[in-house]
Amino acid sequence: MLPQILPKSKFDEFVGSLSADNRVVAPMAKGPAFAFQEVQTPEDQAAIRMDYDLSILPPKKFLMPQRETLLSFGGRGPENVQPQVQAKPTVILGVQPMDLHAIATLDAAMAKDPADPYYQAKRAVTKIVGLNVAQYANDYQFMADMDTLDAPASGWDLFLTDLGDRWFVEVGSEAGQAMITKCAGFSPAKSDDHAAKVAFDKAKAAACSKRLPYDARYLPELLANSYDSLLWNAVARRCFSCGSCTNVCPTCYCFDVQDKLGLDAASGERVRSWDSCQLRVFAEVAGGENFREHADSRLRHRVFRKGKFILERTGKPGCVGCGRCSTHCVAGISILETFQQIADEAAAEI
Amino acid sequence: MAKPRVSFHDFTSCEGCQLQVLNCEDELLGIVGAVDIVNFREAIDEKSDEYDIAFIEGAFTRESDRKRLEHIRKCAKIVVALGACACTGGLNVLKNFRGIDESMKKVYGEAASWYETSPALPIEAAIKVDVKINGCPIPKQEFLEVVKSVLAGRTPQIPDYPVCVECKLRENVCLFQKGEYCMGVVAKAGCNAWCPSYGGRCYACRGLITDFNKNAAKDVLAEYGLTLEQVMAEFRMFNGVFPVAEPPADGALKS
Ligand code: SF4
Ligand code: SF4
Ligand code: SF4
Ligand code: SF4
Ligand code: SF4
Repeated sequence: MLPQILPKSKFDEFVGSLSADNRVVAPMAKGPAFAFQEVQTPEDQAAIRMDYDLSILPPKKFLMPQRETLLSFGGRGPENVQPQVQAKPTVILGVQPMDLHAIATLDAAMAKDPADPYYQAKRAVTKIVGLNVAQYANDYQFMADMDTLDAPASGWDLFLTDLGDRWFVEVGSEAGQAMITKCAGFSPAKSDDHAAKVAFDKAKAAACSKRLPYDARYLPELLANSYDSLLWNAVARRCFSCGSCTNVCPTCYCFDVQDKLGLDAASGERVRSWDSCQLRVFAEVAGGENFREHADSRLRHRVFRKGKFILERTGKPGCVGCGRCSTHCVAGISILETFQQIADEAAAEI
Repeated sequence: MAKPRVSFHDFTSCEGCQLQVLNCEDELLGIVGAVDIVNFREAIDEKSDEYDIAFIEGAFTRESDRKRLEHIRKCAKIVVALGACACTGGLNVLKNFRGIDESMKKVYGEAASWYETSPALPIEAAIKVDVKINGCPIPKQEFLEVVKSVLAGRTPQIPDYPVCVECKLRENVCLFQKGEYCMGVVAKAGCNAWCPSYGGRCYACRGLITDFNKNAAKDVLAEYGLTLEQVMAEFRMFNGVFPVAEPPADGALKS
């Protein structure tokens, strides 16, 4: 389907049409920041902020919630086990290009070795309305380097660009097309609309310059060279190993699984929750051995996951340059700065 | 199998942690069904020396309490320290820094000499403790986790990572981003980031994580405008028994 135009005056009507048979979640203000929250009341709808700059947690939380029950058990033995695969039809409104890329990474990571039925069930009933951005939210972002300023070719249903008094709406799937037909506000984009969209993307590219001193395709190799660098120790001196950087990262997917018992000490639930490789206990195994006992090896591991390992494993970027990790690090540790520093490390070694 | 007998004891404390136990309204009936409670001054007045699990609230702050603690240890198979007072001495430790004599005068005035006191310490200073439930007051969910684990005969799952983890999972705006500061980066989680979720800062009432980064605590807090003295005061508030609360050597915090 060709791009459509939705006048801003019809936006509420559009959201209403989505709410009829979906849970709708959208960016809203949370203190001085933003968070994706459920749109339940007319007040919520009025609070939607399509002009948000960066959400604290990425929209990942609707595909892989912070805590989720995997199964419940009524007693010992497999006959007492009830799997709990929960999936509510959901529309995520306002997902920025970098986060669309991150969802593509998660899709690939959760697809095999092993496939994750909990993620996949939610993903299958989730529709995504993307949102173009005009500029960086802060100095920690580097989407231009990671090639995530524009939406990926697929993995979204609609993609909105703000043209002032109207939305330019691209259609990425049949489900997206169905959303258009359900609401009367849309009309085909005309040539001046197309021209305005092209101008928007041009201005965005000009506003968001590259920030790495090298082409990001060399990142995995530069990281490999830096493995024994003193840099990791120097950066980790400030690191609290608090895990905020991974908990806000849109491509992190590590989790912990625990059984929560009832008072009868026999029934209960198996719950998974987000885990972080930055926590000291993450790589601790039975007997007390810890594979990454010190903060520097943990920090290096995260940066390698983001710049090298996930890419090698899934073929999709492990870092989309969103800058959340650095924005939320109390110690001000910036992955962009670390990526910049390893270039000099390699030069120093030669 | 006979129901395990449970007993509650209080030492120097505000008894807020025992109140938290009574606050477990939804689960209280289940607990009462699963165990026999033989001593609990906040709720019943039976007196017994026959119990399997002893929950001890309050700090060890009078030499004469040592005997009572040893007696409880002898009676119980499992001793659980209930709350910050019992686990780390809690707020009571502040008096150790002020000096015992001055504290006594401040609290009891002329009558100071009538009372016995010594520096506040965790009950571990007198007897062996099997399980600690941290916090001032304790989080209900951790009390329940410990009760259930003891009943099931397994090790309770108690976090040893910073409050920040729970804080970020709740998607709170970090206090540092609001121009304030917070001890959540070094404090033990398990309270579901109680204070930051209601806009207050964390005082590390649940104690400090293993191997917390004291360099980072000092350097980063200094960048947010805290003097070394203020950083020390933050540590002393609830964690005065640990070396980090002692006067720093050569400007570095002790571990
Ligand atoms: S957020 Fe910062 S301090 Fe916390 S683990 Fe990550 S890098 Fe370290
Ligand atoms: S590593 Fe940091 S910049 Fe990269 S995707 Fe994760 S949060 Fe964003
Ligand atoms: S830990 Fe706090 S709430 Fe519990 S008894 Fe001590 S002072 Fe009271
Ligand atoms: S408010 Fe406190 S607990 Fe929450 S992320 Fe910030 S430092 Fe950590
Ligand atoms: S947030 Fe900090 S001070 Fe508040 S209950 Fe938790 S550990 Fe205690």
